[in-house]
Amino acid sequence: MEKTHTVYSKKTKAMRSLLFLLLLVISLITLYPVIYIILGSFKANNELLLGGTDILPKTFIFDNYKQAWQKANFAVYTVNSLMISLGVMGLSILTTTMAGYVFARKKFKGKELLYSIFVAFMFVNVGSVSLRPLFELAVKVKMNTSLLSIILISTGMGQATYIFLVRGFMNTISKELDEAAKLDGCTFFQIYYKIILPLLKPVIATIGLLSFRTGWNEYIMPLVFTMSNDKLRPLTVGVVMLKNSGDGTAAWNLMFAGSTISIIPIIVIYMCTSRYFMSGLTAGAVKG
Amino acid sequence: MKEKLSFAERLKRAGSRGDFASVLMLLPAVFLLAVISIYPFCWLFRYIFYDYNGFTAYYIGFKNFTRMFQDAIFWRSVLHTFEYAVMKLVIIIPLSLLLAVLLNQKIKGSGIFRGIYFMPTVISSAVYSLIFGFIFAVYNGVLNAYLQKLGMIHSPIDWLGSASIVMISIIIVAVWGGFGNYMILFMSGLSSISEEIYESCKMDGANGVQSFFYITLPMLSPVLKVILMLAITTALKDYESILVLTNGGPNSRSEVMFTYIYKLIFGSQTTPQIGYATVLSIMAALIIGVITAVYMYLARKLDDVV
Repeated sequence: MEKTHTVYSKKTKAMRSLLFLLLLVISLITLYPVIYIILGSFKANNELLLGGTDILPKTFIFDNYKQAWQKANFAVYTVNSLMISLGVMGLSILTTTMAGYVFARKKFKGKELLYSIFVAFMFVNVGSVSLRPLFELAVKVKMNTSLLSIILISTGMGQATYIFLVRGFMNTISKELDEAAKLDGCTFFQIYYKIILPLLKPVIATIGLLSFRTGWNEYIMPLVFTMSNDKLRPLTVGVVMLKNSGDGTAAWNLMFAGSTISIIPIIVIYMCTSRYFMSGLTAGAVKG
Repeated sequence: MKEKLSFAERLKRAGSRGDFASVLMLLPAVFLLAVISIYPFCWLFRYIFYDYNGFTAYYIGFKNFTRMFQDAIFWRSVLHTFEYAVMKLVIIIPLSLLLAVLLNQKIKGSGIFRGIYFMPTVISSAVYSLIFGFIFAVYNGVLNAYLQKLGMIHSPIDWLGSASIVMISIIIVAVWGGFGNYMILFMSGLSSISEEIYESCKMDGANGVQSFFYITLPMLSPVLKVILMLAITTALKDYESILVLTNGGPNSRSEVMFTYIYKLIFGSQTTPQIGYATVLSIMAALIIGVITAVYMYLARKLDDVV
């Protein structure tokens, strides 16, 4: 519509540039910490400890990464982060598409009650307390020494939203498709596997991205679970731990490199798929 | 249809209807719900009358409750939670609404702006809090360096270590990390308002500000209510970022309910006081529940008036 206006009054023109400037300034503020940490990760440690306003390093050095990767265990942390996020992603997609499909297509006693329990526990949040019994349970079944417990908990805490998403999307898929497949001899599971799952692709993309992000960014839960087990720490825990460790105040270069390693992958994924991120978010929140 | 069926026949029918398949397909999600959500919730009530340090539990009756009512740090942390939530909301909601309205105007590059504003929400709050910790650092932090270069301050500010400033620093981080989220929610609400209304409003000679207050805001109010509720409950539950930034300090000045509870259970300074922490958690959940209920009541009342 705006393009048809060829003549702006001076006042609106000034107003528009002012607003544009505002948007630009906010963008810079938003981007600044990320750019600062990325560029800072190439600075020498004494340059970081000296401070100053220069955002560009005097000379680009890659030694911080080498040190972080070899000495500070970041290779292990990265693998752990990847395992956790991929695990949460795969498990979330599997369990929530199946559950959403059953909720949308199957009639059974107590269905709405069960569904509302799922939804209710989305809102019940008692903070970190719930991690204590889960940790004790993990110790009891000897799962505290594997990433599986972290993956299961992260999946369990996020699944209600995704089930909700799948169920909503299922309602837009015609039931006649199911009927036709049934006449062709498909069982209930085969209908899900052969007909529904391919149609759910957009929702699966959203769930995949959101759950990957959740797994990648998880902090307090893996922190609690890996208190005494350095080998299982993901990047988030590993890099923050550096701050609290003895020589933490001095090891700025390692923390800069570690932070960069931990934010770059998720930002790259986001840049390629921002549309799915945003649509998934609004579908889950507002329509609920 | 209601003829008598033998057990084997009923089994067969159930099989062909997919009953067993659906039970199996629902099982993983239900299992996770039971173990990850319901079990810890029930566990919460197990130790409320105990002093439990992770190894042994002693029955102490109502002592956890009397302690709670006398615990000045806890009630101060409740106040800090409110302080944090109110300050965060007062900034983040108008800001994200304003940006949503502006970007809805199809300004040049609005897609890019939107992408940038939303970016912080994909980063772990623990990691961006760590990054802000560097920016806020007293002597080599870049924020103080800028302010000193510009001549706005003479001596460095202790952003995270001074009792009068620490909350502001925490709010800055919280707003940075969250405004893009609410902006996107507002934008999806705005997209449901039809263009034609704005067109006719323009013809009647309304300017941008007028059309915002007379059209956008009233039309947006159902969405606004949902977003506000989401924002309130989120703000009351935030603690990950504070844990990394200040760990509740200095001198408990930035302690919120959930950082305090976290430290009672998992803190390394003292022995775990899990029984007491469960009592505080229940109290915290109640406080949040009451606030949510009051908000919903007020929102409905407001509906009747307007």
